[in-house]
Amino acid sequence: MTIHDDSSDFVIDDEGQIGREPATAGRVGEAAYLVGSLGLLVATAADAIAVAGRHTGIHLLGSIEVVQSAVVLIASSAMVAATIVGSHASVHILTERLPAGTARRLARIAALLSALLFALLAAGSAWVASELWSGFEQTELLGIPLRWLRALWIAAALLIAFLFLRAAARRSP
Amino acid sequence: MTPELVGLAGIFFLLLLLTLGVPIGVGLGLVGLAGLSILISPEAALIKGGVVSFETISKYELGVLPLFLLMAHICFAAGASRDFFDVAAKFVGHRRGGLALASIGGCAGFGAISGSSLATVATISSVALPEMRKAGYHPGFASGALAAGGTLGSLVPPSGALIVFGIIAEQSIGKLFAASIVPGLSQALFYMATIAILCTLNPALGPSAPRVPWRQRLPALRKILDILLLILFVIGGLMIGWFTPTEAASVGVLGALLLWALRGGVTWPGLFGALRSTLRTTGMIYVVIIGAILFATFISVTGITGLLSSAVTNFHASPILAISVMALVLLLLGSFLDGLALMLLTTPIFLPIAVNLGFSPIWFGIFLVRTMEIGFVHPPLGLNVYVIQAMAKDIPLATIFRGIIPFLIADFVHLGLLIAVPAIVLWLPGVAGA
Repeated sequence: MTIHDDSSDFVIDDEGQIGREPATAGRVGEAAYLVGSLGLLVATAADAIAVAGRHTGIHLLGSIEVVQSAVVLIASSAMVAATIVGSHASVHILTERLPAGTARRLARIAALLSALLFALLAAGSAWVASELWSGFEQTELLGIPLRWLRALWIAAALLIAFLFLRAAARRSP
Repeated sequence: MTPELVGLAGIFFLLLLLTLGVPIGVGLGLVGLAGLSILISPEAALIKGGVVSFETISKYELGVLPLFLLMAHICFAAGASRDFFDVAAKFVGHRRGGLALASIGGCAGFGAISGSSLATVATISSVALPEMRKAGYHPGFASGALAAGGTLGSLVPPSGALIVFGIIAEQSIGKLFAASIVPGLSQALFYMATIAILCTLNPALGPSAPRVPWRQRLPALRKILDILLLILFVIGGLMIGWFTPTEAASVGVLGALLLWALRGGVTWPGLFGALRSTLRTTGMIYVVIIGAILFATFISVTGITGLLSSAVTNFHASPILAISVMALVLLLLGSFLDGLALMLLTTPIFLPIAVNLGFSPIWFGIFLVRTMEIGFVHPPLGLNVYVIQAMAKDIPLATIFRGIIPFLIADFVHLGLLIAVPAIVLWLPGVAGA
């Protein structure tokens, strides 16, 4: 039995070895990792500089807005990456005990439901973004345009929905 | 159909979806959206989905989660994972049950890096279990101590479970971290006392290992000194107000990078590996959080919590009795739901009731995580047990579960103490002003 930790990506395989999820991500996955990594590094740098500035008396304004924007990059790309490697948390107590065919059918239904949720989130976000698009929403201090961040999230949600759909189609019943 | 009935039907469908293997975040989100569609309107539900998802992924406070994860992954890459047990074993290994005591210390130390119960039990077991078996420890006793010790990873700050609770319950993560310190330490002490009692009653359970001379013990401390200083700086700085939780995590990432550089092992593949691992875990947790917020919104619209609150009030039960019943329900649900699902399903329902009963939300967060931890070791789910069994296939599951029983008793006594004396949780955040 492979044990997957729902709060980190530790895996104990059949041989009892500790390992990590395989990183076979493809081009889309690599792009997601790149964007997310950039977000992580920017967020780290912005907050660390802000802390250093505050404690040396040089106040750097706008770090919260930079981190906020970086977090959108991190979260969007992280959800894409988690979908590509199939590391979403789920309860296995029943599915592990079912015959393989039934388990595959359930996995296909789960993938379809997941695609539905992300399609709905993308639709809802697109609705909100369309209402706000002409308002040129931006952050207060640095004027970072939020509508492009909204567009990034909508694209990521649609991509995740597509990835789940593809996963559902690939699983043989 | 009344809103309350819609709410109950929603909870039933959620449990069904989760049992059928639908991802936790997806189940929560779909039930939340479907419920809001029925109770308000499909348009409102769709817009709510759009608003909640973007608000969640653009929340500054949520930046704390990926950054603490990155700090942990950099520490792993720097090779800090097994040192805590090695050092503790040098100091107490020569005592009866000393290696088991060291494994508890190792779990507490590693938990402060990983923030995850399964990661803690997997890592410490991989080094401690072979040592204990070599020293002639009873397999059930050794694996029981490790399974129980691993649960410390969920409570010791910076705990991933507490960060998720802080976000969905809108509570200060700094206060939650401060509140978890005394319960985490006392939990470790309870386990150590259990080991001491068991080894006094039956010395064959954990024979003494050879004594390590002091000239070897003190230099060994150097192996963990840098990590200890980093944890102390990050959590201490957060508690005394030097930085916000997100800033603390950023400073932690830089500190971990520095520590890695000083240890001399920084490589590009290592750094990329840490970034990728962080993103995979972060993505999984974000989906769960978006789903949980949608589900919580639905539950609040149904009025179920108000109904349950008034039922508890009309029953004229004492708050302690009511919270004890809540603990029982959590333990029962924890028999088939994993910790994250349990927390996300029950927080929107139980938190308002606990607050109505006069309990602080911070106390409730610690209570919930503590109860959730017990689910990691009690049958039939007991994931920590399966982790150990996967690593030592010759130890039967029944032996490990039997070995856990004394530690489960300690867990129940400790949980009872937290319920009876909430100051154990609330004293430190009050003093630190976190």
